[in-house]
Amino acid sequence: MRTKNNNGMGWLFASPYLLYGLIFFLIPLGWSFYLSITDWNLIAPVFHHVGLDNFIKALKSPGVHAAFFVTFKFMIVFVPMVIASSLIVALVVHGLPRFKGLFLIGFFLPYLASGVVSSFIVKGFLSYNSPVNTFLRGQLGLDINWLGTPLSALLLVAVIIAWKFTGYYALILTSGFESINQEIYEAAAIDGVNGWQRFWRITLPLLYPALFTTLILSIGVTFGIFTEVYQLTGGGPNFGTNTWQMEIYKQAFQNLSAGYASAVALIASVVTFISIFIIRKFLEMWGKRNGWT
Amino acid sequence: MVGHKKKSLTIRYIIAFLLLLLMIFPYLYMVLNSFADWSQVDRKLIPTSFTLHSYEWLLSGGQSAEPRPWIRAFFNSLIVSSGSTILMMITGVVVAYALAKLQFRGRNFLNNAILFQMFFPAIILLVPTFLIIQRLGMYDSYLGMILPKALSLWAIFMYTNFFRAIPDTFIEAAKLDGASDWQIIFRIILPMSKSITIVVFLFLFMERWTELLWDMIVVKSDNMLTLNVLLSQMFGPYGGYPGPMYAASVILTVPIIILFLFFAKQFKEGMQFTLK
Repeated sequence: MRTKNNNGMGWLFASPYLLYGLIFFLIPLGWSFYLSITDWNLIAPVFHHVGLDNFIKALKSPGVHAAFFVTFKFMIVFVPMVIASSLIVALVVHGLPRFKGLFLIGFFLPYLASGVVSSFIVKGFLSYNSPVNTFLRGQLGLDINWLGTPLSALLLVAVIIAWKFTGYYALILTSGFESINQEIYEAAAIDGVNGWQRFWRITLPLLYPALFTTLILSIGVTFGIFTEVYQLTGGGPNFGTNTWQMEIYKQAFQNLSAGYASAVALIASVVTFISIFIIRKFLEMWGKRNGWT
Repeated sequence: MVGHKKKSLTIRYIIAFLLLLLMIFPYLYMVLNSFADWSQVDRKLIPTSFTLHSYEWLLSGGQSAEPRPWIRAFFNSLIVSSGSTILMMITGVVVAYALAKLQFRGRNFLNNAILFQMFFPAIILLVPTFLIIQRLGMYDSYLGMILPKALSLWAIFMYTNFFRAIPDTFIEAAKLDGASDWQIIFRIILPMSKSITIVVFLFLFMERWTELLWDMIVVKSDNMLTLNVLLSQMFGPYGGYPGPMYAASVILTVPIIILFLFFAKQFKEGMQFTLK
C-alpha cells in the first residue's frame, strides 16, 4: 500500500471535510469578522461600516459583562458538582461484581434528555403549588421563588446540566478506576497505607487521566450553555444566567443586530479559547507537579 | 471476614440502587405526571389518579385555534435527525478512512486542521452560518436543518482512532485481491467497526434529536418545526397546561430512550474502546 501513490484517492475521500470546512467553517469565519465591523440588522439591504464601534459598545454592555462572569460562575458551581456526583456514582458502581453494566446504562439515561424537557420537569417540580414548595412554605415557612433570584436560578441550571452529564462522566471515571491494578492496593495495604492516604497517594494519581478528561469536558460544557437558560430564565433574572450563547442569540435573532452580535461572538470565542487554554495548562501543571502524568 | 464482605456488598447495592432511583426520578416524575389527572399535575410527588386526558388534548390539537401538529413535528424530527445522522456517519467513515488508512500528501495537515477545528469555539459561526443557509435558499427547509450538521468532526475523530487500530495487513491483502477502497470500507472496515459505529450513531442521533438553537432559528413555518422546538415554543414562556407539557415531553424522550436501550449492550462494548 505504501508503494502506491494514493494522493488522488486520499484527497477524494477527504473531500467531504474540505467542502464542509470551506462552506461551514472558513466562509462563516471570514464573514463573521466582516459582519462585526458593520451595523447590519439582518434584514435591511443597506448597512454601514462602523469600525470598532460594535466592540466598544460590547465591552461596555451589561449583557456582555454578565456573560463573561456568568460563565465562570457556572464553572465554579457546575464543575465541582458534576465531578463530585460522577465520582460518587463511579465509586459506588465500579466494584460491583454483578449488574455493573446495568447500573451504568441506567445512570447514563439522563444524558438522553433534551434540555427543554429537563427544564420543564424542574419548572413543574418547583412551581408555586408543587409538593416541594407547599412543604417548604407549610412546614418551614420558606417561600422560595426558585427562578426569581440570580443565585438560585444559576444553581438550578447547574443542577439540571449536572444531572445530564453525571452518568456519562461516571462512565469515563469507572473505566479509569478499572485501569488501576488491584495489586497496587494490596501491596499498599501490606505497607500499612490507610484509607485517606490510599486515596491521595494511589487512587487520585492513577485516576488523574480520566479525571483530566472529565474536567476538560465539563469546563467545555460551561461555555456552551443555552437550552436550559433559554427555556427557564431567558438569561435573567437581572442577567444572572446570561450566558454567551444566550446573549448572542438575543442580539442576533431577537434584536436583529447581526453586526453587533458578530462582535459579541468574536469576543466570546476569544474569551473561551484563552480561558480553556489557561485552565488546561493549569491542570496539566497540577498533574505534573504531583507526578501524576 | 466473608460475612463482613457480603454485608458491605449488600450495602453498596442498596446505595447504588437508591442513587439510580434518584437519577431516574425526573423521568418517573415526567411519565407519572403525563398520565396524572389534571388536578394532580405538579401537586403530588406521586399522583394517585390517572387519565389519558393530557395525550388526548395534545393529539387533538389542544385548545389553540390552529391545531398544533405534534405528529407532523415528530416526523420532522425523525427526518432531520435521521438525515443528519446518516450523513454525519457516512462522511465520518469516508474521511476517517482517508486519514487513517490512505497515504497522501497533506494528510497530517488535515489531521491537525480537524483537531484545531474541534477545539475552536463554534459560537462565532452561528450568525454567518444562518446567513449562508439563507443565501442558499434553504431557510425554513429540511436541508437547512440537515446540511450544516452533515459532518461531525467528533465522528471523524472517533473513527480515525478506531481505524488506526485495524492492522494494515487486512487492507493490503484485500488490495492484492483487487478490492477497491470503497469495497474495503464496506466489506472489511465497517464489519470490524460495529460497536464503535453504534456508539457514534447513538451520540450523534440523540444530540441531533435534542438540538434546539439551530432548529429554532432556521425554521419559520409551524409545519416545519421539530418536536423539540415545538415543545419549547408551545409550553415555553407562559406555562399553562402542565399535563400536556409532560405528555409532549414523554413523546420526545421515550423514542430516544427505547433506541438507546435497544443498543445498550453494543453501546457498552463500544464505549470500552472510546474510553481507553
